[in-house]
Amino acid sequence: MIRVEGLTKVFRRPRTFSGPFGALRTLVTRQYEERTAVDDLSFEIGEGEVIGYLGPNGAGKSTTIKILTGILTPTSGTVEVNGLVPWSDRSANARNVGVVFGQRSQLWWDLPLIESLRLVGSLYDVPAARFETSLRKLRDLLGLDDFLDTPVRQLSLGQRMRGDLAAAVLYEPPLLYLDEPTVGLDVLAKEAVREFIVETNRAGRTTVILTTHDLADVEALCKRIILIDRGKVIFDGAIDALVDKPRRLVVTLESQPEDVRGVRRDADGRYVFDIHGDLPGMIASIAAEHPIRDLSIEEPDLESVIKGIYTR
Amino acid sequence: MTRIGFRLALAYRGDIIMTCVSLVAQVFLLRMIWTSVYGSRPAAAGLTLDALLAYLTLANLQSFATQTLVSRTIHHRIRTGTVFFDLARPVGYLRQMAAFQVGNTLGGLLLLAPVVPVVLLVGSITVPVNGPGYVITLVLGYVIAVQLALLISLIGFWLMETGAIHLLYRLVSQFFAGTMVPLAFFPGFLGALAEILPFQYTGYVPAAVYVGHISDVSGPVTVELAWIAGLWCLLALTWSRACRRVVIQGG
Repeated sequence: MIRVEGLTKVFRRPRTFSGPFGALRTLVTRQYEERTAVDDLSFEIGEGEVIGYLGPNGAGKSTTIKILTGILTPTSGTVEVNGLVPWSDRSANARNVGVVFGQRSQLWWDLPLIESLRLVGSLYDVPAARFETSLRKLRDLLGLDDFLDTPVRQLSLGQRMRGDLAAAVLYEPPLLYLDEPTVGLDVLAKEAVREFIVETNRAGRTTVILTTHDLADVEALCKRIILIDRGKVIFDGAIDALVDKPRRLVVTLESQPEDVRGVRRDADGRYVFDIHGDLPGMIASIAAEHPIRDLSIEEPDLESVIKGIYTR
Repeated sequence: MTRIGFRLALAYRGDIIMTCVSLVAQVFLLRMIWTSVYGSRPAAAGLTLDALLAYLTLANLQSFATQTLVSRTIHHRIRTGTVFFDLARPVGYLRQMAAFQVGNTLGGLLLLAPVVPVVLLVGSITVPVNGPGYVITLVLGYVIAVQLALLISLIGFWLMETGAIHLLYRLVSQFFAGTMVPLAFFPGFLGALAEILPFQYTGYVPAAVYVGHISDVSGPVTVELAWIAGLWCLLALTWSRACRRVVIQGG
């Protein structure tokens, strides 16, 4: 579905000067500074996959998406989306792709939602009959009926996001880029967005690339993640592989010996054991040696793993 | 996109109604001023007071009707980054924006329609001397106005802040279209400049055809077509360069 090889994008902008007349010097300068947003990126994504495309702010996620939609031309590298080169087959590629940006909307602010949907229908040449079927389906799935005729500026964020999702899939693109689709939404609205993504992916075999900072989205939706930082892929694989660490047993004891079965006391006076196999047996044997005051079990989670990677 | 432009014109009807009011006021004021300037003189620079008033009224009416919202829209969409969506469409950007403007003008005309009789009355305008010629020169002039607005808007892809440029452009284009002072009154070099610039085709030329000041439209129409062709090329060229410049705000 998507093949990216050696993708590099370098932005070139005039050097900015500070100090008196800085703005003027910036305007006339011939000096440029270069910033590599995406650096030798390679990955492949198969049809029907839901990929978590993650990375800290400024890692190059949006740049990649802009290249994949054909808006930016890369400095070097090859990209193929559904057999097309996005920036040279721009128009054909556009029909294959739906985009949602949580932070901005493609809906016309001052017009009723339905007008924006009609516009999408006409820009993508959706025949009237198919438009109606598609719209009916989306109305049910996203509960659009209550606000279809309301100007977008009066919609709540959750409603607006549902409108944006509808606009992005109205022409049934085989590929969907979602950039922080749950940003700022309440728990229920987030749930609705996730359900919609699952349903779209299941029903139409739609490939989804999901960029988000809410790792609960990723855990709920994606089997595989691609993690990038400073424009480079730093992890590409199953979530299970990334969080492939043993669960841990955290114990507080009545007494505070230096070490218990080879595990040293930590700064908070707790003992942390890796769990391998028989957990009840492990607890029992510790309890037999030292009276236990409290215990808890820590699951390895994506958030702590990713935090670890970002701060590295 | 045409539909969106049309609906937006209706959505911003408050704006348009204010526009109507200011149009009537402007025509009325111009009438007062020029009447007193003329005093008892029968004609100046070959124009009688009646012809002058008819001309100014028409020029203003046209200028209000052909106002372009598109540059404001493009400016806004570039600044907020929503231009991303326009660029991600399978339809060309300029085509979308031109369609938007046409729809917007149609919507504006619909709202402007009720005041047209009032304006015509205030400006004491009678039937056109050359109806078909007027429509042709006006429509072509409108195409030029839209092309120019698009061209100016594209500067936004290089400079993020273009508010001042738009203001300047509006001022210059209105002035050289002859909506304040007829081009016939422009002294030597200013007149020559106005002759060269394309703005006269959005104001002066169609109005002059209407009142019969210009009787043979073949000359102006040829020049208009040449402008349209030239601007078309310029737009295509600028756009292909702008495409390479695309930097979308944020994200």
